[in-house]
Amino acid sequence: MNRVQPQPNRRRQRPTMALLEVQHLRKTYRLGRVEVPVLHGASLAVEEGEFVAILGASGSGKSTMLHLIGGLDRPDRAPKGEPDASVMFDGHAIGSMAARELDRYRAGTVGFVFQFYHLLPELNVLQNVMIAGMVRHGLAFASHRGESRARAESLLGAFGLGSRLRHRPAELSGGERQRVAIARALINEPRLLLADEPTGNLDRKTGDAILDTLAQIRERTRQTVVMVTHDAHVAARADRIVKLEDGRVVAEHSKPLA
Amino acid sequence: MYQLLLTRKYLTSKIMPLLASIAVVLCTAMVLITWSVMGGFLKNLVKSGRTMIGDVAIVWPNVGFPHYDELISMLEADPMIEAACPMIESYGLVHLPGDRNELVVVKGVDGPSFDRVTGFADTLYWKPLAKPLKKDKQQQDWRNRQHPLWEQKQKDGLALEEYDPATDRMVGAAVMGIEVSGYNIREVWGGYTPGIVIVPQPDGTTRDVQVLMFDDTVTLNLLAMDGSGHSVETKTRKLPVANEFQSGLYDIDKQTMIVNLAVIQDMLNMDEARRLDPTIPYDPFAIATDPVTGREIPAPPPPMLIEPARATTVLVRGVDAEADPRILAERCRTIYKAFAAAHDKQVPPIGSIRVSTWEDQNRTLISAVKKETGLVLFIFSFISLTAVILVLAIFWSMVSEKTKDVGVLRSIGAGRLSVAMVWINYGLAIGLIGSLLGGALAYAIVLNINPIHDWMGEALNITIWDPRVYYFVEIPNEVEPDKAVIVMLGGILSSTIGAIIPALRAAYLSPVKALRFE
Repeated sequence: MNRVQPQPNRRRQRPTMALLEVQHLRKTYRLGRVEVPVLHGASLAVEEGEFVAILGASGSGKSTMLHLIGGLDRPDRAPKGEPDASVMFDGHAIGSMAARELDRYRAGTVGFVFQFYHLLPELNVLQNVMIAGMVRHGLAFASHRGESRARAESLLGAFGLGSRLRHRPAELSGGERQRVAIARALINEPRLLLADEPTGNLDRKTGDAILDTLAQIRERTRQTVVMVTHDAHVAARADRIVKLEDGRVVAEHSKPLA
Repeated sequence: MYQLLLTRKYLTSKIMPLLASIAVVLCTAMVLITWSVMGGFLKNLVKSGRTMIGDVAIVWPNVGFPHYDELISMLEADPMIEAACPMIESYGLVHLPGDRNELVVVKGVDGPSFDRVTGFADTLYWKPLAKPLKKDKQQQDWRNRQHPLWEQKQKDGLALEEYDPATDRMVGAAVMGIEVSGYNIREVWGGYTPGIVIVPQPDGTTRDVQVLMFDDTVTLNLLAMDGSGHSVETKTRKLPVANEFQSGLYDIDKQTMIVNLAVIQDMLNMDEARRLDPTIPYDPFAIATDPVTGREIPAPPPPMLIEPARATTVLVRGVDAEADPRILAERCRTIYKAFAAAHDKQVPPIGSIRVSTWEDQNRTLISAVKKETGLVLFIFSFISLTAVILVLAIFWSMVSEKTKDVGVLRSIGAGRLSVAMVWINYGLAIGLIGSLLGGALAYAIVLNINPIHDWMGEALNITIWDPRVYYFVEIPNEVEPDKAVIVMLGGILSSTIGAIIPALRAAYLSPVKALRFE
């Protein structure tokens, strides 16, 4: 792994247009009266179909970066004299989107997978997956119901959960829950899958199975994936590893093409 | 779409919405029961108050006005008016059995016409009963006993006459308010039984005597007045009591005595009279010649004037019982104006006459009960605010519990308003379920309030509605649909309002903070 200095103008050095370009991201959280800076101008570019792992220790700002990319939060304004932060997805500035546009972006363009699965406990497996379709289509869901259900069943079947459709999350193992969460993230065929420590709550064997699942999806669909992890073993499954320390990108490592 | 799914799931998988629904059920039922019972009480009161006075009264107190029959004919010819009757209202002192005196309002009426206007026959107490009173399970009511006396009493009471064996003719009689004598004992089953008095005997012993007012006599003392309203003498008349009446209003039943109109007119010098025409000179010692015999005889008096009988009041009943009595009163004023024009200087002008509706006459009582009902309703509605607070507290707690769900929903693209709608729908559903069940519960309770009350009395010895106190035998048990709709809508609205604050809280949660919530 090569140690590199943060390069704010990296995009210009790249010959192709990236699907996702993140520049100078800054974020400070306020805990009561205490301000906790998390990101200090981190930048990143992700090509379409690429699997990027953001590797960093706890508190390095990797999850915050993922939230900013996914439009769950907005970056801070840059101090005077510093370049402004921006999250560009396919040429669209996420940071300046109106709330409704941002909702649409989250519903249709990105899919989230969380460490703690975050399934809705009252819904069964199928409903947990289909709810993302319901949110995306709103009142028009009635006309997409069949299609959405078929896709949910197909995804869950592919993940080995075809016989567990009516089960509640509490009746599933950790690995199964995470596969349901992945299915939910993929139901709307997002262009970008954001995974926040997807194996962080699982044992090594189950974690590897989840990573295998992600690998299968990529193999089939060339899905763009940005995954954050603190585990180098997990990060090694990605095409490229971006190392984050104290809110800055400190190193990048690309896996040689097979 | 997803809001409905989540609302349904949250509703069916948690205990808290069940508690919130129960709170709404109880509050809705409480307000609706209170409103129905108090409203029914007011309705009964108004109905009872209307019983003895018709819809409109045309009044010229004290001396009364003549030609009232003509006024009644004019009134009854009007399409708005069903019937009219004369009445004389005065105060009197009645001497009761047991040497007791009571000050009473005396109403001199013609029984049948008074019945057409006021439904007097229905208020007569001593009559055969079609079926026993609901609470009289032991059939203690005397009126249940088959006896020709009750039919006779009913007939006599309506006619305000009774057979006098001494003279072998019908004589004018009285119908006393059931509470006037104080000898009728009001029973818990809702009726009366004649009371017993202890009468000392000449030999020093005592004897229990049951006082049957409906078969006794009373002595009425009235102050007669001349045509100018000055009292001239006290008139006393012994009257048989043909029956007693129960209007449903304690004040009326305690203080009123109905007497045959002819008797009162006679006692108050308001009956038809003949008098000399002051415009014709009259010499009582004048001599005239008999045209047949040619002998001198005392000259006959000049033609006498007939002074018509008078009444102080004409009671009027409109064709439409639900119509605004003020419109009828206005019509009566117009008719009286024509009547006064036809009898110029013989009857008081319209400006002197008082034309009042039954509402005007009972205004103090009705407005007191209306205010009381309003106050009770306000207090209970205020208490019902607890439902709003409870729903708010429960929802607040549920939003806290479901903070992660909010984060998840936001992460999959749900907007703020859309997330808020999950909780608002939830409040709406709880309000809807709670209000419908509350309405059904209230309906079931109000409909069966009397059996429930009876059961409480028998099993727990609790008597809340004592007919001796409240005067109505039965607790009002009617739920008005419009009231039910208002209360249920209030319940739905309260729950929805209770859900709005937590819903906004959920909507404005930062998705990142929500996902990290522990």
